[in-house]
Amino acid sequence: MKNRITTVILVLLAAFITLGGNTSCKSKKKLAKEAAEAEYKSRSEQAVKDLNAILDDETLWSLEEKEARVQSIKDWNLQNPEVDDLLFQVEKKLARERAQKEEEERNIEQQQQAQAINDVLEKNFGSIARAGNSSQANRLINETLELFESANIPVLIIINQNAGFNDYDRPTTIENYLNYLKDQKVSNNKVYEIKYNANGKINELELIKK
Amino acid sequence: MKKIIATLAIVLCIAGTALAQDELSFERKQAIDSLALEKVRDLSKYIKIVGSKDTPFSEANRVIDRAEELFMNDAEIGVSSLSSNQITYYRVRKYLEHLMRLNYDRVEIEWYNIEYVSDLQRQPDGTYVGVITIFQTFRGYDAEGQLQYKDTTKKDITVYVKRKETQIGGRTIGFWDVLLGDMRVKETTNR
Repeated sequence: MKNRITTVILVLLAAFITLGGNTSCKSKKKLAKEAAEAEYKSRSEQAVKDLNAILDDETLWSLEEKEARVQSIKDWNLQNPEVDDLLFQVEKKLARERAQKEEEERNIEQQQQAQAINDVLEKNFGSIARAGNSSQANRLINETLELFESANIPVLIIINQNAGFNDYDRPTTIENYLNYLKDQKVSNNKVYEIKYNANGKINELELIKK
Repeated sequence: MKKIIATLAIVLCIAGTALAQDELSFERKQAIDSLALEKVRDLSKYIKIVGSKDTPFSEANRVIDRAEELFMNDAEIGVSSLSSNQITYYRVRKYLEHLMRLNYDRVEIEWYNIEYVSDLQRQPDGTYVGVITIFQTFRGYDAEGQLQYKDTTKKDITVYVKRKETQIGGRTIGFWDVLLGDMRVKETTNR
């Protein structure tokens, strides 16, 4: 009798453990699934919100921050049709912004380079005019000519501007103009416009009376 | 009758526009006045360089080329002397080459009081013509640095300014071409 009671208790215990453990495992999976669903929902909502904000220009993020945000949303791999559609639109928009930004940066760089060459030219013009002797002036002339495609490139000098219309002096060449500065010992013109060839050498120079 | 009046009105309008285009604004006229004066001042520097015994021969020749470009093809420059009443006229290059070879050890040439005596006036062919006067002081020294000769000459230079066009980099550039004409001796003194 005692043995029978012990056996029953053991069987009941084993059944309890088995059933109890199974129930606990099922509960954990369910919780995990629910958590995953909640996270997916939360990420999807956040992604839609952020992507719409980018599309409507309602963020204060820089272009780099927007690109980083898009990348992290893509990394979530949500496979949500709404998110995918927004991603497609946002990536197109950011590509346009990137191209525009690069264009602006190129323009700024070109302007800075042009300004640097303007400064060098005007400095050299003044130095040639003030050169203490002919050989010093000739050295500066040769240095300056290095910036030009050839010694014969045209130099135009604007003597008057009126209503968008320019009056010019008789066109000369850069070599003659630099020698003119040496001879006259005065530099009365400043750079107005420079044109370059594909190799970055000046192939047309426009000056204007100071 | 109405047709005739309308035609006359159009003709007068076109003529008026053409006339207005011929008239330069004050600013444009002032710009070409200054440009012509500047060319004369440029010439004064060139003459000084060519006359200087310190100027190397090759430099003097280069400057003669530049100076010659300032003048009309047949322009002449008058030369006077205190020792003679005669005024001799030379073509520009001849004058400058003569100046380069003057028989002094040192030469000083100064131009001053460069100004218009007759303002630029528009001629029927569109050329603007004026006269600029200059005073030139010439000093010639010997090897010991003694002044051998000195005179001051008043000279009148006729200037011609004409609008021309040229093609540069595929575009048409309208420019004012200033050319100097004869340089006439008006007076020579020993001052």
